[in-house]
Amino acid sequence: MGTQSSRTGGRVSGIEISNVTKAYGATPVLDGVSLSIADNEFVAFLGPSGCGKTTLLRLIAGLEEVDGGEIHINGRRVDQLAPGARGVAMVFQNYALYPHMTVADNLAFGLKNVGIAKAEIDTRIAEAARILEIGEYLGRKPGELSGGQKQRVAIGRAIVKNPDLFLFDEPLSNLDAALRMRTRLELAQLRRRLKATMILVTHDQVEAMTLADRIVVMKDRKIQQVGTPMEIYIRPANVFVAGFVGSPPMNILKVDVDVSGAVVMARLAGGVFKTGVGSAGLPVSAHWRIGLRPETVKVGASGDGLAATVEFVERLGERTLVYTKLADGTPVTAEDAGTSRVKMGDPVGLKIDAGSAHLFDGEGVGYHAPESGE
Amino acid sequence: MSASSQKKLREIAILATLVVLGFIMLVPLMWTVLLSLKSNSDLLQSTANAFHGPYTGENYAAITKSSGVFRWLMNSVIVSGLQTIGVLVLASLAGYGFARLEFPYRDQIFLLVLFGLAIPEQAVIITRHQLFTGLHLHNSYPGLILPGLAAPFGVFLMTQYFKAIPKELDEAAILDNASRFKIFWKVLLPLTIPAQATLGIFTFLGSWNDYWWPLISATRADMFTLTVGLSASQINFAQTSGLGYLMTQAVFAAVPILIVYIIFQKYIVRAVAGAAIR
Ligand SMILES: Nc1ncnc2c1ncn2[C@@H]1O[C@H](COP(=O)(O)OP(=O)(O)OP(=O)(O)O)[C@@H](O)[C@H]1O
Ligand SMILES: [Mg+2]
Repeated sequence: MGTQSSRTGGRVSGIEISNVTKAYGATPVLDGVSLSIADNEFVAFLGPSGCGKTTLLRLIAGLEEVDGGEIHINGRRVDQLAPGARGVAMVFQNYALYPHMTVADNLAFGLKNVGIAKAEIDTRIAEAARILEIGEYLGRKPGELSGGQKQRVAIGRAIVKNPDLFLFDEPLSNLDAALRMRTRLELAQLRRRLKATMILVTHDQVEAMTLADRIVVMKDRKIQQVGTPMEIYIRPANVFVAGFVGSPPMNILKVDVDVSGAVVMARLAGGVFKTGVGSAGLPVSAHWRIGLRPETVKVGASGDGLAATVEFVERLGERTLVYTKLADGTPVTAEDAGTSRVKMGDPVGLKIDAGSAHLFDGEGVGYHAPESGE
Repeated sequence: MSASSQKKLREIAILATLVVLGFIMLVPLMWTVLLSLKSNSDLLQSTANAFHGPYTGENYAAITKSSGVFRWLMNSVIVSGLQTIGVLVLASLAGYGFARLEFPYRDQIFLLVLFGLAIPEQAVIITRHQLFTGLHLHNSYPGLILPGLAAPFGVFLMTQYFKAIPKELDEAAILDNASRFKIFWKVLLPLTIPAQATLGIFTFLGSWNDYWWPLISATRADMFTLTVGLSASQINFAQTSGLGYLMTQAVFAAVPILIVYIIFQKYIVRAVAGAAIR
């Protein structure tokens, strides 16, 4: 891997994770994970609980040692360096503020440890306090702060270090819904102001979608897909990503495919639908599934489209989510207007816009309609 | 009767019980103080004389002149003080080690330490005495102090306390470029102050009141601790003479403990109330 050497080819910026493995005892947690993150990029690690997001973050920070592979930050190999020498700052889920120190001392602790002059420390604290609006709490101890204020202090402790890389481990998960929304917005603003590389670990897809430039979807010790939020949403690499990203989740139904035409025809119990997926290059597979976002399945009158029965109705105001069941018992989530009159038990017809449907082969690999303009 | 007035009645009953119990606890102390304020000849007639005047300070004047009590007091302060400091230092370091460091056989060694809780002093005193004889440690401060430094309870307490501190604090400090010692000293140790206070108070009181080992180890009067010295002063079998003088020594000996209590009152109450408050 000569491309990352800092001695040749000038300054290489960004984070380069190559083939990192990690096991806790006999339990493998990460299995050959590789990832490149550009300078000033905001990346979110997204995945279900236990998939190894935190572990990957801790490996980057140096709080755990890699079993194999390398990590480079701005061209410097860091996986053998002490955590403090890597130029990273981390915001912990439970904040991990030093309870016996004032807010100011919490911010200053890391700076004093590397011998930064008092005047410089004061300047940096003042700057961080201004950005995060925590000036009036500087003399308080963490125990005298609210959850949101502690959160800011924890971020402040990272900011004052001017790190190359910010690491956030579920920074919003301890906040209540309203505060989480506000803090999410603030994090987005902060990010624009700081112009630093950031990694956010979350299992909240809204957080990932709204904050990140790119999302790294993880599951089962591996990266499933890396892409912009829209890429992940529109072109999920596999059936797991398709089902994990999006709320309510995508409908995934068994289908038979017909590849005789230019585009794939999908045959469901209630009819044949023309998808946007090209027939060329599609592998031979015995088991196909079709992925339909709820917004592409509309509720119509009974007898019109796929026959289904309403199981449950969720009125969200501007739209209505209708959870239905097909004749064979397959659940399908559909959408209706906010003024929808459907009730539980109603027979309905589902009108499917299959143009943006996704197909998944027996291995779960996804196939999509070409992006518009292609 | 309404629920609230019933509750009030119960509170009054509890309070009254506590006052009575408290008074019973205080009787020996008041008795000691009263006796110390009487002249020895008065008390020779009857100790009941303590309930009325004349009271006198002559016993207090006398001990400043004749008694070895000052020397013993100093010995007790030195022994208890150093023992307390030693136990705090050792238990904190050991507790940190058991809670935070990875080393071979850690859990087995911890168990071994806990076994120390189950071994009574009586079981080892002869061997210890022989050991200290061989080392020529009797009648010395090290001889009085060293045995008390082995404090399995202290190690246990501090281990549990360090374990209860979230590891993220260590990790935050690691990312803040703090050395291991700095993390121990600046981040973790300040958080254990309540436990330090509890352990310190118990160690100090235990050491101050210890009688058996100093009695065995210190055979020269100038190396007596207060407990040994005071009992050695009780020369006459039935306490028929010099009773006031003796009581004065006892009062005098209690003063340092009283001072410790006043200073650490908050922590003592908490420690006795179950130590579970974090
Ligand atoms: N110190 C450890 N010792 C042993 N196993 C561990 C340790 N830390 C994590 N694991 C295991 O490694 C796997 C990945 O854990 P990790 O904390 O990285 O998951 P995560 O994706 O952050 O999950 P969550 O969303 O719940 O935080 C889990 O199966 C977990 O049980
Ligand atoms: Mg996690």
